[in-house]
Amino acid sequence: MSEEEVRKKLLELKENADVMIDLAYSSLIYDNADIANEVYELEEESDALAWEIQRMIIKDSKEGMLTINETLALLRFVSALEGMCDGAREIADVELRDIDLHPVLKLSIESSDEIFLRETLSDASSLCDKTLGELRLASEFGAWVIAVKRGNRWYYNPGKYTHLKAGDILYMTTTKDNRERVLNMLRGKNERETFK
Amino acid sequence: MSKLGRIWRREERRKVEYEARNVREILKEMKDISELITDLSYSAILFNNEDLAEEVRYLEARMDTLNYEIRMQAMLAARDAEDAEKLAGILQVAEAAETISNAAADITEITKLKLEHPLIPSLFKQSDELLVRIGIEPYAYGKSASELRIRSKTGCKVIAIRRGISWIFAPKNEPFIEGDVALVKGTEEGIEKFRVLLRGGQ
Repeated sequence: MSEEEVRKKLLELKENADVMIDLAYSSLIYDNADIANEVYELEEESDALAWEIQRMIIKDSKEGMLTINETLALLRFVSALEGMCDGAREIADVELRDIDLHPVLKLSIESSDEIFLRETLSDASSLCDKTLGELRLASEFGAWVIAVKRGNRWYYNPGKYTHLKAGDILYMTTTKDNRERVLNMLRGKNERETFK
Repeated sequence: MSKLGRIWRREERRKVEYEARNVREILKEMKDISELITDLSYSAILFNNEDLAEEVRYLEARMDTLNYEIRMQAMLAARDAEDAEKLAGILQVAEAAETISNAAADITEITKLKLEHPLIPSLFKQSDELLVRIGIEPYAYGKSASELRIRSKTGCKVIAIRRGISWIFAPKNEPFIEGDVALVKGTEEGIEKFRVLLRGGQ
């Protein structure tokens, strides 16, 4: 079977869904249409992906490589992930309408201590050419990288083997306390922390 | 029927009555649930855990109740056309949070098919982040997540506290008490640090 291929595509769809939800809420917190548009693009991509996966599953099922229950589980799983993507798009839709956001929206969505950062990685930063695994940003700085934009390409839910390069735009969450520290690190300024 | 099972069934049939509660509070809870429920349902599948699946069902039922409540509040809050325009956006977000929760709950129901096939659970192992339930240790009683500086020291996020039959979401300033179970998201290393921190270590 194309099991490995189905797996890869399912994982991609699941990661899209997770990131879309994060980005959709962020688009409202920052009243940022670019982020909302990004959610829309990802939604289209995810739709196409879902169709493709469903077709693969049905083909495998027809050829007897999947039992009825397995087929059912996979198809329902794909449609649930699609449902999550739809929810994210509905949220981004609010940002893209030509209506001012209700102030309560931002207040209720923003979490009390977590903040969202979007910052370009400076070539002066010691983070350049390191992998996220080496940098341990989450365990050392409480900073989670949600997505990396490199040129026109997006890398969602980057993992420990993802390399950072100068010019990357990092989308991350961190705490208010750590904001300055993280920003300085990305900008390569006043660094107290250096990485070996 | 399990204790949790009774709780969510009761929530599902609860009569929704008007209660003065502001839109901001309700929407905040809905947003928090929409994020928590996806994590929980992934974990329910990964660990094939019926307790987690029951938590998901409870939250889904709670979400339905909240969706009713927020509609009532929004209708009462609209004074003119401009208000209505803006409040429509709030209801849209509430509806979307509900859509996300429904989808997450659907994922959990896949466990009913009792699959041997590891394909779906394996998808949730990929991520570098783990979601674990950790019982709070005596050292942390009376201290909140923010006093313990959990996020800055370990990178872990305490997503919620399960206290008795209720949930406390985004419990930044809520002091832990005996019997609390924290739902924590972090890297393997971060979770280890968190356990050490809970025992009063650095």
